Amino acid sequence: MRSHRHAWLLATPAALVFVAFSLVPLVSVVRFATWRWSGTAEPVPVGAANLLRALGDQAMWQSLGTTVLFAALALPAFLTLSLVVALAIEGLRVERFVKALLFAPGLVTVGGSAIAWYLLYNPDFGLMVELTGLRLPWTTQSGAALVYVVLFTLWQQTGYGVLVVSAALRGIPREVKEAARIDGANEREVRRLVVLPLLKPTLTFLTIVGTVLALQSYTAVFLLTRGGPFGSTRVIGYYVYETAFERFQLGYGAALTLFVLLVTLVVALMQARLLVGRTARGAT
Amino acid sequence: MLAMRLVTAAVCVFVALPLAWLVYAAFLPAEALLRANIATFGFSLENFAGLAGSGLWRAMGVSFVASGLAVLGQVVFGLGAAYAIRNGARLLGLVLVLLALPTELLLVPLYRQLQTLSLIDTLGALVVPFLASPLVVFLLLQALRRLPWELVEAARLDGAGEVTIVARVVAPILRPEMLAASVLAFAAHWNLVLYPRVMTSEALWTVQVFLTELLRTRPFEWGLLGAAALVASSPILVLYIVFEKRIVATFEAGFRS
Repeated sequence: MRSHRHAWLLATPAALVFVAFSLVPLVSVVRFATWRWSGTAEPVPVGAANLLRALGDQAMWQSLGTTVLFAALALPAFLTLSLVVALAIEGLRVERFVKALLFAPGLVTVGGSAIAWYLLYNPDFGLMVELTGLRLPWTTQSGAALVYVVLFTLWQQTGYGVLVVSAALRGIPREVKEAARIDGANEREVRRLVVLPLLKPTLTFLTIVGTVLALQSYTAVFLLTRGGPFGSTRVIGYYVYETAFERFQLGYGAALTLFVLLVTLVVALMQARLLVGRTARGAT
Repeated sequence: MLAMRLVTAAVCVFVALPLAWLVYAAFLPAEALLRANIATFGFSLENFAGLAGSGLWRAMGVSFVASGLAVLGQVVFGLGAAYAIRNGARLLGLVLVLLALPTELLLVPLYRQLQTLSLIDTLGALVVPFLASPLVVFLLLQALRRLPWELVEAARLDGAGEVTIVARVVAPILRPEMLAASVLAFAAHWNLVLYPRVMTSEALWTVQVFLTELLRTRPFEWGLLGAAALVASSPILVLYIVFEKRIVATFEAGFRS
């Protein structure tokens, strides 16, 4: 009856952008996956050829494995560091300083961060090798290269994790901790038996964010190693980029994108189940 | 507790080291590098002067225009969308799904979409797809939920239209949150690497594309690289230093509820 029925109209511009540049691409990637397409010339339909090729593509399975390995290394470290640092600085005078410092890598823009790491850790003429003679093997050894990308990612993201845990810590009422202390619990027990269980939703949230970040680690890979050496850091997202825009096989790139989206969906569903399972168990 | 503090100290050193060395290299005089003696102390601005013909300033200009326009759209359209959702529009599900779906994951289909719209290699490629952001909608919606709704209803009783209410009643109250969301959105757009690299060519290189190319073509010029990285980061640094408290508060409020 009144004009606020038309309030939804105000969502139109944003909705149009979301539809045109997220939903339409998301749906049409299925069609593009059936094309042989270099990006410049007109595409040629080839049916399921790209999808069949993807299933038998060794490099794709390897890159999927690399992504899982990356997440398995980065995620536990990310969660542990966020938790430990946030707990260690809680209520201290340095709290604000530490948070600002850990957040700083996010301010040096990604390209600048890549330069900073390059200047420090480059094995040929970085500061590290000049000062200590320690020649980090990340440009030649597969394992070291992956660890290097993981460390860079942690360097970028830990500040965010600390900020989130710290916000959650502040949400825990003082009385809850006081009650435990009155019951005779020491500080360590308060942390382990009171604070940690209350942080569970936050840690679950960070796990989900961290998984998404792991699937997106391709920017760091592009900046640091370009997938090398010997494809050892070629995570799935980077493989898609490389296929489509360095080798100009956009049709096959679309098929790989489809695969990445499927993997993302499966992971998201697993996490949703995890969340539901936890809540159910918590209720009993 | 001691172990945890030691870990924290180690993390701080690990985080600070590349940053400190970056700043130091940027101000290092060139002769210190020629003598291959990095322990020489010195202060010089010649690295910054050396950036003059490198194309950095042009890239900075492109990035400023593109990120600025994108953020303007994200905040204005984001506020509209958040207000509509607060009034019952069923968009929240879509926003949450898109929140988990980074633009760069859709590079291939987006390339085709921009081709169809004749946006490839135009400024529009850097702006139009970024005119709305699920994160900004989400943050502004969180802020709207804390807004006393009587204010909106009173304005309606006074006969104000919805656009007027958003512009005159809601926007002034939400200014701090809009500011914080703008800074986060600006940083996110400023930081795009692969997207602008794929969608535009050299004339429209953004600052990040320029930095990655500089690292590839002139890898031995430490000072120049350091200086370029600092210049490229300066807008984000300034924004953060000015609005630090506001950003942290908005951020923490967004995750508490």
